[in-house]
Amino acid sequence: MAKNIRNFSIIAHIDHGKSTLADRLLEYTGALSAREMTEQVLDSMDLERERGITIKAHAVRLLYKADDGNNYILNLIDTPGHVDFSYEVSRSLASCDGALLVVDASQGVEAQTLANAYLALEHNLEIIPVINKIDLPSADPEKTKRQIEDAIGIDCSDAILASAKEGIGTREILDAIVKKIPSPAGDDNKPLKALIFDSWFDNYQGIIILVRVFDGKVMAGKKIKLMATEGVYEVSQVGIFSPKMEPISELSSGEVGYIISGIKSVTDTKIGDTITDADNPAQEPCPGYKDIKPMVFCGLYPTQSHQYENLRDALNKLRLNDSSFNYEPETSLALGSGFRCGFLGLLHMEIIKERLEREFDLSLLSTAPTVVYRVTKTGGDILYIENPALLPEKYEMIEEPFVVATIFMPKDFIGPILDLCQEKRGFQKSFTFIGKDRIKVEYELPLNEILWDFYDRLKSLSKGYASMDYDFIGFRESNLVKLNILINGEVVDALSLIVHKDKAYYKGRELTEKLREIIQRQMFEVVIQAAIGNKIISRESVRALRKDVIAKCYGGDITRKRKLLEKQKEGKKRMKQVGKIELPQEAFLAVLKVK
Amino acid sequence: MEQSPLFMPNLLYIHIPFCIQKCTYCDFFSMPYDESVAKTYIDALYQELYLKKDFYTTLKTIYTGGGTPSLLPDECFKQLFICLKDNFSFSSDIEITVEANPGTINESKINTVLSLGVNRLSIGIQSFNNDELKTLGRIHSSEDASRSIEIIKKEGINNFSVDLMYGVPGQAIESWHNSISTAVELSPTHISTYELTLEENTPLYKLLKSNKPVPQHKREISYTSPPLMGGDKGEGENEYKKSPPPYPSPIDGDGNIINGKFPTLAKGGKGEFANKIKLPDEELIIEMYNHAIDYFASCGYEHYEISNFALPGFRCVHNLNYWDRGEYIGVGAGAHSFINGIRSKNTEDINRYIQDLNSGIIPEIESIKLTPTDTLKEIIFLKLRKTEGININTLSDITVSRNQSCHSALDAESSFFTSLDSCFRRNDINILQASRELVDEGYLEIERGYLRLTRKGIVISNTIIVKLFERLGID
Repeated sequence: MAKNIRNFSIIAHIDHGKSTLADRLLEYTGALSAREMTEQVLDSMDLERERGITIKAHAVRLLYKADDGNNYILNLIDTPGHVDFSYEVSRSLASCDGALLVVDASQGVEAQTLANAYLALEHNLEIIPVINKIDLPSADPEKTKRQIEDAIGIDCSDAILASAKEGIGTREILDAIVKKIPSPAGDDNKPLKALIFDSWFDNYQGIIILVRVFDGKVMAGKKIKLMATEGVYEVSQVGIFSPKMEPISELSSGEVGYIISGIKSVTDTKIGDTITDADNPAQEPCPGYKDIKPMVFCGLYPTQSHQYENLRDALNKLRLNDSSFNYEPETSLALGSGFRCGFLGLLHMEIIKERLEREFDLSLLSTAPTVVYRVTKTGGDILYIENPALLPEKYEMIEEPFVVATIFMPKDFIGPILDLCQEKRGFQKSFTFIGKDRIKVEYELPLNEILWDFYDRLKSLSKGYASMDYDFIGFRESNLVKLNILINGEVVDALSLIVHKDKAYYKGRELTEKLREIIQRQMFEVVIQAAIGNKIISRESVRALRKDVIAKCYGGDITRKRKLLEKQKEGKKRMKQVGKIELPQEAFLAVLKVK
Repeated sequence: MEQSPLFMPNLLYIHIPFCIQKCTYCDFFSMPYDESVAKTYIDALYQELYLKKDFYTTLKTIYTGGGTPSLLPDECFKQLFICLKDNFSFSSDIEITVEANPGTINESKINTVLSLGVNRLSIGIQSFNNDELKTLGRIHSSEDASRSIEIIKKEGINNFSVDLMYGVPGQAIESWHNSISTAVELSPTHISTYELTLEENTPLYKLLKSNKPVPQHKREISYTSPPLMGGDKGEGENEYKKSPPPYPSPIDGDGNIINGKFPTLAKGGKGEFANKIKLPDEELIIEMYNHAIDYFASCGYEHYEISNFALPGFRCVHNLNYWDRGEYIGVGAGAHSFINGIRSKNTEDINRYIQDLNSGIIPEIESIKLTPTDTLKEIIFLKLRKTEGININTLSDITVSRNQSCHSALDAESSFFTSLDSCFRRNDINILQASRELVDEGYLEIERGYLRLTRKGIVISNTIIVKLFERLGID
């Protein structure tokens, strides 16, 4: 049976056509008729479609009758397309035996092409290169092939030329999947061993877990154990997505499908965990499990304090479906009660914030994102600081997270981009030509430095052509200080930040100046100061509001005047009252605007 | 619609949307004056007055504003007032105001309006500084203003108001001192002082934003004999027909009305640029305002509303009604009305205004039924405009809503007013609480049961009002 199964993923840089190709495969194999297809079925969340990225992985079973006359089961395991979710990508790839590497023939190899291709190679996947978008006038399939060969070192002599948009090459791709990707290995008779690569909460069924079964079988009634979290549950249903949810009698080795077993929370179904027989467990779990930790943090506060409970409920609901972010109640002197939330990366943070506001109708104020710092106290105790305001006065050592960033760019932009990396405290690790006109550089950089404007500047310096990916490499000691912002003499804790000492003066000056532009005039003068410890390093002030009056009010047009006042009031709604001062959301993100 | 005779509005506003030339700061709708359009317009006004005559009881005030009502030829005024007298009764102490531009005042005009019963004039002087008048694009000079006041006094009108403007680009404090003292010397009964508000889409706004020198108007602006004030011999009219007006005619060759554009500013030529001028500094503007309040007080003028001053007994009854949220009916293009808790507005489009009324339709384009919250907001921001403030003890404001509820019961909307009453009662209790901090900080004060803005609060009244809205929990 397993010999007729092929488990595969599609990997690609963003916008290279992964979702469109998935749609074509579904359509071609009759999983969905053309009429049933809403565009890009796999990206089901509105946000995913709007942003053109896949946030959650999915798995679809396709039935395909190949040239050899046999019927095959092709399990397409979709992967998230953003660096923030690279662990999830790695677990999806670990569930596959092969991958389609899709590269846009007009764009060539990009950072995520490479990152994902390397991940696939790490998992010993059979890679099938697909040169997509060959219908575009600017397509250069030969050059793209050479780039793949140079950058990744895989043979592209029989790469498939395709246009997912036009349906060109679809059959060739399906045939290549059958011919080149090995059928899954595994033994039905061994104890159950299934890898969790996704899970989510369903209002009716509870937690739905997506698995790849490596050994053994799983069926309703079986008692299972999750090896990392050690929970034991009884399976109530197993099935597949076709892409509709279809219960089946059992999932056996080599198969991909879902398990429902009365689990209530995604925190109990960690991605990468192994499911085994509770009574007869496997000796070893599937390799590669990591308890992934959020790397980027920010405070989320309701602009109106009465929305605190609603925010907590909303966070709770979102967390049901996404165990990769966490939140803890936190109290800010300036902002009142809110939550310190941790995310995999900036995009993840934006997505969560946007969903909270959109789906739960909340008006939120977020503090500037920060990384987590590792602080060794004088006694040797280690603290992880997720909120700059909480950095203790005295400590032995402070370390910050470093990443290795891989940047791809056309060679014309190399100068300014290297300058940028230098400015961001980077150390160059490698410099490689990919073909004649593209360059790959690797830099070790503090995560803190790439959090803010790095990506935007990279894009603008390269006219949009550079791409980037990064991997966490560990904590390193740095010369860091806490920069406090005082408003009318009071430290506003939500504005504190940890910065490199060499940049502290500059940042302090820039930040007070930005705040002066952002803070609207109030009924009294507002003095903004930046301080390191007790030392004030810069000062700006916003003059008191002196004049704000509707000069004329006659002629009977009362409604216009009322609306004018209402507009003024509306503008205040997103303000946060800090003491007697009203601060707009932008004030808390002002630091992001400091170069 | 059935109306209770007891609570009909008795205030009438008539809008005359024509001007000789658009002022550089003005964003109200108006069009270049053309006599035949004006005549058609007066016919339409007649229609609207006729259609609305059943809404009125005896009129207590008539206010003719614009635009520039004073540029209407005598016959138009006569026609208008005949129509008013045909359709309405006037109370014995009626206040009849006409707005007049000093550039359009002559003896015969004043005689005409006097004979028609007009007993109050509002003169748009704005400034006694000719440079400022040029910047503002006014059609008259400082000398024209003084002369026009002499004329109206000679003809026997002593009840007149003058408008003055501060915060004009290039205006110095001395110039403002001079303008207000010159105005007081002319002994008006009433003075309005407005801060120049820079509205977008006005020539002045664009000029100041473009940061270029302000070009001066090409045309000589001193009008010693206004071309539109035809005397009884009819010479003026002939003269007017002979010499084309200094702006495009709003009538095309076929006699259709077209919306003519004002030639607002002449193209910059040699020697036509004044020095680079900008808006006076905020502190200077506040100084001007405060000086005016003190100066007028020293001359016996009571400061009774943010921008208005009057000798005892000469407050503008018509305008007071707006701030007291009384009902009124407006006629004319762009005119507003407030009846039965509904604020409505006519189209500003003169063509449409005329066409609709020719077909017997009232050209209303907007009609907003106030919610209890809207009403409460209005009470706060309108009553705080008056220096008297809001009466918080005797709940005089509830009386307003009670009055309204009397009509509204007639059109089965009583629930609305019930909720207004309760909304007000609830908030009335809180208004002391809501204003406490602002009182402590010296922006508001409470005296003998009235809550009002202080000198410190009045200049930032928008902020104070919005804070009150917030504290009262009204969105």
